[in-house]
Amino acid sequence: MKEKTALCLFAAVSFVIPAIFIVILVHVIYQTIPAATGLGMLLFDTSGVWRPLGQTPSFSILPVISATMYVAFLAVAIAAPIGGMAAIFLNYYAGRRLTKLVLAFVDLLAGVPSVIYGFIGLVVVVRNLERIFNMSAGESILAAALVLSVMLLPYIISTYSESIEKAKNKYDTASRALGVSAEYSVLKVIIPITKRGAAAAVISAFGRASSETIAVMMVIGNAPIFPRLLGRGQTISGLTALEIGSAEIGSVHASAIYAANLMLMLTLSVILLITYFLRRKLLSEYDKI
Amino acid sequence: MRLAEGWSISRKRVISIITTKNLQVSYLNKQVLKNFTCEIPKNKITVIIGSSGCGKSTFLKSINRIVEEEGGRLSGEIFIGDKNISDLPKETLRKQVGLVFQTPLVFPFSVEKNILYPLNYHFSLSKSEQADKVKHYLQLTGLYEEIKQDLDMPAYKLSGGQKQRLSIARCLCIEPAILMLDEPCSALDMKNTISIEKLLIELKEFITVVIVTHNLSQAKRIADHVLFMDNGELIEAGDYSIFSDPKEELTRAYIEYMNY
Amino acid sequence: MIKYRNTLLKLTAWLCGGLVVTATFFIFGYILYHGALNITWNFVSDRPRGVPIGAEGGVFPAITGTVYLGALSGLMAGLVGSITAIFLVFYCRNRYVKGIIKASIYFLSGMSSILFGLVGYTILLHMLGMPRSLLAAGITVAVMILPFITIRIIKLFEEDSTELLHASLCLGVSKTYILRKIILPSYYINILTSITLGVAYGIGAAAPVMLTGAVLNAPTPQSVTQPFMSLSYHLFILVSEGISLTNAYASAFLLMAILLVLNAACRGLEYFKKKGD
Repeated sequence: MKEKTALCLFAAVSFVIPAIFIVILVHVIYQTIPAATGLGMLLFDTSGVWRPLGQTPSFSILPVISATMYVAFLAVAIAAPIGGMAAIFLNYYAGRRLTKLVLAFVDLLAGVPSVIYGFIGLVVVVRNLERIFNMSAGESILAAALVLSVMLLPYIISTYSESIEKAKNKYDTASRALGVSAEYSVLKVIIPITKRGAAAAVISAFGRASSETIAVMMVIGNAPIFPRLLGRGQTISGLTALEIGSAEIGSVHASAIYAANLMLMLTLSVILLITYFLRRKLLSEYDKI
Repeated sequence: MRLAEGWSISRKRVISIITTKNLQVSYLNKQVLKNFTCEIPKNKITVIIGSSGCGKSTFLKSINRIVEEEGGRLSGEIFIGDKNISDLPKETLRKQVGLVFQTPLVFPFSVEKNILYPLNYHFSLSKSEQADKVKHYLQLTGLYEEIKQDLDMPAYKLSGGQKQRLSIARCLCIEPAILMLDEPCSALDMKNTISIEKLLIELKEFITVVIVTHNLSQAKRIADHVLFMDNGELIEAGDYSIFSDPKEELTRAYIEYMNY
Repeated sequence: MIKYRNTLLKLTAWLCGGLVVTATFFIFGYILYHGALNITWNFVSDRPRGVPIGAEGGVFPAITGTVYLGALSGLMAGLVGSITAIFLVFYCRNRYVKGIIKASIYFLSGMSSILFGLVGYTILLHMLGMPRSLLAAGITVAVMILPFITIRIIKLFEEDSTELLHASLCLGVSKTYILRKIILPSYYINILTSITLGVAYGIGAAAPVMLTGAVLNAPTPQSVTQPFMSLSYHLFILVSEGISLTNAYASAFLLMAILLVLNAACRGLEYFKKKGD
């Protein structure tokens, strides 16, 4: 009897998470309806004008979507090679002590809140960009990408370092026994073997980058225009954080913001699916070997 | 008799005989047991032999329905005595059918508490009775003499053989009617193996023993009844004579191979 | 050719490794150095003052507000998360139910933090009519850290506790008995640290609370229906509105210190537990 009660209680609580998932999904889709019916394809108007207030309001979410993708892509493009090479450095060149120390710090770095990254980004990256490029205001896509890339590094390093370690434990001795150098072994054995793991790390890093809010918001300049490298921009998350408070829920304005978030959700879901299948394949591969 | 003293709590028990009818077990999409029909006699030692991966362990796990906990699907009927096991509450069934795994698993507390853990669930005993039980079952498996000064030590500090004997003691202390062992001696040296075998032979006066083994000479030493399995099917069942005069070609091949 | 490529690889690896090490130490060093220069006892113990608010004075209500937020969301998410993990690993035998719950956890874990803020804001504040409050923010943060905590606890259990479960079941004891006697005693520290790490992640995030309950200036909340100050949101406002750089450094230092202490406490606990085993 006690057993049954416990089971029912646990099962009931366990359905909280699926319920939250469904509520969020349905809610976001439902809130998107006014914009979808009222604006239709005007949401993706190529003129790229986001002007919620004023005589002729215009709600193109194309600029924020492209800025989100642009910043995330740039950040991954900077962070992935550096993080990957750093992971190789930690596994092959740094001594065991240094590796342990750095990985511990990198772990801590992953726990640093994004508002602190944004803060450092503003006082260090933005100010230096202003100096270097002689800009009047350094808040820009580039600044956001640089800050984001630093935030992605811990994640990329720890996941990729893990795959390298696995591959190294398995094959390095056999490879080195053939008398080849460490570098040759890395290039010909380790990197090819870990390419799936690397792909999973890079893709989910892209997901993280495109969903970051605060840090990007603090250094990007927040102008809902099409992104240029040294120009200001605004991401979907930034737009949401800044404007939803002043938009009336149910209005076309709020609904357009929801539409942008729905797009982000879809992108993130695709990324989650891809990484899920990559990881599953990876696991079964490790089992086979 | 030494053993009988400890066996006083539950004299009343079902007739210890296992019968399976068309037992089928599958994990995900892989069928592990196919149409398995067999009988296991009461108060005898039944030895199950067969090559690895043929479903011997799965057979044991399906008797106490652990298969279902592992995500396997079970169909067909299993009887203990005249009771269908699906009519019994799982806890009652598992109390009657003890199972000892191949790799011993001790719980993360002291040696004494490892025994008390199932004991206190099934019986309510006074402190002195508890101490007596612990001592008795550790003596049965020959563990008591080795560690009597230090019953409080964490069980993970025991050697592999000691852990195995602890898990047998832990299983015996709830007084099962049937004791199933999955290759219990693979981690033991010869001396401990012999003492476990002696214990099993002593035990069969009270309970039914089912043992899976890879060791043919061990099977010959203790078997009253033998089941030979291959690829999830029962190939041949018989008494001791199966070792010298197998009826089936597969059995002959296996026995020749193991004797080689 | 091979030699040239080898040298190139070695060089870039050292370069990138050096870059990462420098960046890591720079971030910690920068905050700790500037924070230590700018922090005073008055800053820790006083409430925000000055015009605009926060330019002078301290952040005491933000510290208490952050602690309350962490406790509230940790309590909610910890309870739901650990029960879900227990159900999934020890009780649930239905493949489809398992799949649905796991997929929802996985999906929620990949969403953006502002999405939780947005949905929390609309549903809790506008549809259910809650005030901007500790409770609304606590629920929002709890939902955000829920998948994080649940995934950690599931991993914890899946590592080796199913063996314990099966071995126990073979002895004919019930699952609640196993939970009470084995699983909880041997895992409660790891469960606690998982929840604490989730809380550390939650109180650092400004996005979910900025719409649901955090405000610029409020006293220490007396009940969960009052608005509150959050250290991370306070830092965000100080920096983005350009109110006070000195106070921003000090706030960042405090926030980092709280998170480092939480992290260190978790690591310490797990270390001693491992040693005890």
